[in-house]
Amino acid sequence: MARWRLGGPVLAAALVLAVGQAAACPRPEGWTGGASIAGETWTAWWRSEPAPIPVGAHFSIRFHLCGPPVGRVGVRGWMPDHRHGMNYRPAVTLDGLSGKAEGLMFHMPGRWQLILHVRGAAGRDKLTAETVPE
Amino acid sequence: MLSGIAAPAPALDFTAEEERRILRHGPWPPALLPDPSNRVSGKPAAIAFGRALFFEPRLSTSGAVSCATCHRPDRTWTDGLPRSRGQRIVDRNAPGLFNLGFNRWFGWDGAQDSLWAQNLRPLLDAREMGVGPGGAARLVRSDRRLSCGYRRAFGAAPGADDARIFVDLGKALAAFLETRVTGRAPFDDFRDALARGDAAGRARYPAAAKRGLRLFVGRGNCTFCHFGPAFTNGEFADAGVPHFVEPGRVDPGRHGGIRKLRRSPYTLLGRFNDDARRSTAAKTRHVRLRQSNFGEFRVPGLRNVALTAPYMHAGSHETLADVARHYSTIDEERLHAAGERILRRLDLSARQRADLVAFLETLTEKEPRRQSVEKTGNAVCR
Ligand code: HEC
Ligand code: HEC
Repeated sequence: MARWRLGGPVLAAALVLAVGQAAACPRPEGWTGGASIAGETWTAWWRSEPAPIPVGAHFSIRFHLCGPPVGRVGVRGWMPDHRHGMNYRPAVTLDGLSGKAEGLMFHMPGRWQLILHVRGAAGRDKLTAETVPE
Repeated sequence: MLSGIAAPAPALDFTAEEERRILRHGPWPPALLPDPSNRVSGKPAAIAFGRALFFEPRLSTSGAVSCATCHRPDRTWTDGLPRSRGQRIVDRNAPGLFNLGFNRWFGWDGAQDSLWAQNLRPLLDAREMGVGPGGAARLVRSDRRLSCGYRRAFGAAPGADDARIFVDLGKALAAFLETRVTGRAPFDDFRDALARGDAAGRARYPAAAKRGLRLFVGRGNCTFCHFGPAFTNGEFADAGVPHFVEPGRVDPGRHGGIRKLRRSPYTLLGRFNDDARRSTAAKTRHVRLRQSNFGEFRVPGLRNVALTAPYMHAGSHETLADVARHYSTIDEERLHAAGERILRRLDLSARQRADLVAFLETLTEKEPRRQSVEKTGNAVCR
């Protein structure tokens, strides 16, 4: 892949990642529920509103990232068993390392992945949570 | 066995996972809340006015077609035709009008995001009724009974703004149609017996329907799309039904529906939504248009399905047995939803197809629920 042909800097970054997985990430203050998911560079706490996630109704999520500064976060839903995503495009608002995504909907029962695509000067990352709406 | 005493079915009919899936198809009926986007939702005077409008042929340019032409009360509120005929023939099959208050989208392509907006569509389409905002407003202002009905429903005489009167007609029709919720079906008794752990109640459900239900929640994967108490997840899918309207012309389905929605002045994001907070508009704001929406149609609810033949968006399937055969022999190559794999060719035996039909027949209400409109007689103007 093209990225690997960049050589030195990418390899160095890969080594750093290999040893120092994403930084430890305490549960955000004031949160009771929620779960954490680790990527290569960032770790996130996330929780849904309402919780648990309902089948076939809009929900939103709040998240808090630990790691280097973040430029953009995209939020996606994916049903791996059926190979389809959501019918709705969530709107993400970001405030530093914290954010909110609104307008999500898991329109079928079963196993879903909630995926945060994180981008910043430090690179790109994909954080995947496995979840089953109720 | 002595006649009249059914042999008790073995206690462990269904696995725990199957039971969990079955329970999600109830309880029935669910609570129905008023629609915040419609200020007359649930109001008796509006229900009565909406009922009068439903049977009013002067809302068509020919003066001969009413809503009830295609949604006949004596035919489960549909017309029995593959494609409906108003002033001319249309492209699609008329759905039976019930359980509408639970829908997220309206029409086979979901081009409308509220029941009141859906009710305006036939008034705008010349193939159906085509009276349009100006014609409808003139009629309501000039007819003594209709203007009286309007005043009782909305608390003021029809004003000068044609568009506003027009939308209000959609809202009164919605208030009427919302009241139409199907009654309990044999499936509901079975489902509730399962929930209560009532073995005797469970045993009363026919064995063929049980086998069909097992296919429905199991190998058929039906329950993923036909989900929940109304047997629809309210969304859209490609069920492998051909969508040529005539040679050379296809029905774009959901793809066209989202595009129409975005052009419409009558959505929940527009000026006619009575809910200042836009609390039900998230779907409209966030809906996503994709190439794969092409050829997708709304997953129809399955309550009373045995009474609403023919089936599918253009009435291409005459009987439930034909629908069972469709899913049994579905051509996976034809499914154009790129990569999605929920539907598979099931290769059901004749008995399995009959079982599936036996199950679908248990979704027919035992007795129609009494309509609340019967209690609103004194709200109608004479
Ligand atoms: C020409 C026959 C015809 C007439 C007249 C007609 N309809 Fe329909 N109706 C249909 C068809 C066909 C559909 C499916 C439309 C589509 O998917 O594009 C439909 C759909 C609907 C739906 C949506 C149901 C759902 O489940 O999404 C409602 C509600 C409805 N009609 C109400 C009305 C009302 C109210 C009137 C009178 C103002 C009316 N219809 C007049 C044929 C008709
Ligand atoms: C991928 C989602 C999906 C699955 C899985 C699915 N359906 Fe459907 N079903 C639909 C859609 C969408 C339609 C309407 C298709 C059209 O008109 O083009 C439909 C139509 C129907 C209809 C016709 C209803 C009417 O009023 O016209 C019946 C009956 C039905 N399905 C039963 C089943 C059964 C039984 C199964 C399992 C074997 C099943 N469905 C699996 C999506 C699905």
